[in-house]
Amino acid sequence: MKVNIPLSPHSQRVPGRFIFLGSLIAILVTLFFATPGLVLAGDTHAAPAQGKPPQPKKVAKKLSGAELYAIHCNRCHPERYPEEFNQTKWKTLMTHMRVRANLPAKQATVIMKYLQDQGGN
Amino acid sequence: MKTSKTLIGLTIIGCSAGLLFTPSLQAAVSDEDFNALKAMVLKQGQQLDQLQKQHEQDQAVHTLDQQQISALQQQLQQTQALATNAAVKAEAASQIQPVYPVPNPAPRATHDFLVTGDAEVQYGKATGGHGTFGLADFAPIFLFRANDNALFEAGFDVTLQNNVDANGNPTGDKKTGVDLSFAQLDYLLNDYVTVVAGDMLLPLGTYSERAAGWLNKIPDDPLVRDYLPGSGVGAQLRGALPVGEAGQMLTYSVYGVNGPSSTNDAHAGRLDLNGNVGDTPNWHANPSGGGRIGWFYPWALHYDLELGISGQTGEWSDYAGSYAWSAAVLDAAVHLSPYFEVKGEYVNTWQQIDDAGTLHPSGVWVQAAYKLAGLEKDLPVINNLELVGRYDNENDNQGSKVDRYTAGYVYYLSNTLLFEGDYEWFLVHGQNPNGNAPGSFVLQLSMGF
Repeated sequence: MKVNIPLSPHSQRVPGRFIFLGSLIAILVTLFFATPGLVLAGDTHAAPAQGKPPQPKKVAKKLSGAELYAIHCNRCHPERYPEEFNQTKWKTLMTHMRVRANLPAKQATVIMKYLQDQGGN
Repeated sequence: MKTSKTLIGLTIIGCSAGLLFTPSLQAAVSDEDFNALKAMVLKQGQQLDQLQKQHEQDQAVHTLDQQQISALQQQLQQTQALATNAAVKAEAASQIQPVYPVPNPAPRATHDFLVTGDAEVQYGKATGGHGTFGLADFAPIFLFRANDNALFEAGFDVTLQNNVDANGNPTGDKKTGVDLSFAQLDYLLNDYVTVVAGDMLLPLGTYSERAAGWLNKIPDDPLVRDYLPGSGVGAQLRGALPVGEAGQMLTYSVYGVNGPSSTNDAHAGRLDLNGNVGDTPNWHANPSGGGRIGWFYPWALHYDLELGISGQTGEWSDYAGSYAWSAAVLDAAVHLSPYFEVKGEYVNTWQQIDDAGTLHPSGVWVQAAYKLAGLEKDLPVINNLELVGRYDNENDNQGSKVDRYTAGYVYYLSNTLLFEGDYEWFLVHGQNPNGNAPGSFVLQLSMGF
């Protein structure tokens, strides 16, 4: 949604252009590498963080419904918990999301079964 | 009754024996005989008591039997009444003309209806201007599932904007707008093909299809999205082909829509990307075609890469004639852990016009976000915070170029209730057609439901 607050017609140069970009990149890079246990998958030379899992969980050959949910759904929106809807509503929502997110049919079915099994009444 | 007769008989025999034998025994009875007789009498007394008790039990059983018989008689009467009524009804029914259902091999619908969507409230202030609650937005999505394969979905955007028109220009009064974002029928033809028809969100890049207010981590849209239509009326085939069983997939969408039109202005035709429904003065004969191909590769949970290329080509028309209009979009998204993501799009368009050849409006946006929960600090406020930054620009190819830098945050009050805040810096090169201020900040409360 576009912000529609009244805007001034005057144009000014902002001196902090490069400061902004530099600061943003520095912050994100710092946070990224400061994340405990966060290493690139497959980077076997990365030093494990103390007391934390050194590697992200590799994708298994055949994924469960919970894993497929984590892969496909969380990348676009915050997690919706299975208890939020009942079995019928999950079926409708998953039909909607299968189309919207272009999910493969079988994977969508596995995700739906996971949500329905854990779903509310 | 039998027990009662036995009791009376024994009593008579006992009395008779007493009358018969008393005179002769009166003189010769010994203590031993007397005691034996006494014991016999006592024994008979006990037997009488037992018989009396047995009699009372028999009486109780008899009473119960009588009650059961009465109940059975009542049930029998009711059954007879029902049978009589059924016969009457059957006779009445035989007088009614039968209904012959129309043969229909199609499966019956199993309807389900659901409302989802989001709502937002914004407060903003631009440099040199007054702060104001600039927007209240209610964006419901209605989902109506007819069966396992058919779904109708429609999304609306109901907004109340303060002192601005649809383009953000001050008007001096408030305005409520109702916009149909999309209204489409989805039919799951098989595992690999879904047929979509109606007013569809167009898969030009990924932003339109993933742009609900509570999904955007920054309240406003990237500038360059103004160069693309958000939806189009037509039909579409789309689907996904899984690669292996680890989540990797190829996706496709191909569609045909009416295509862009022009504003209803007889003097100067202006491209109207969304004005393609029933505007007969600007109607053109040939539809536009487009599509997207995408590749999604997850190599671990929450670690994935998505790349896509999409485009649309066709024509737009004004009173003077028809012209070509095309667009190409490259999109990419990367997730490195549950906490960090980068995504963006590059957009280029070609707009043929009558008096200036072909314009190439274009632009790009790149957005990065990091959830502070990734630091694994035991601080509730920090763990609910996500930092967001974005760079975007637009170049209208007519002497105006705008760069915008945005820094902000998302605070997750819950998984569907977000409090966002952003500050934006504008750098305008050349003309300033949108009247952009050098800076502004926006606060937004957003809720998905």
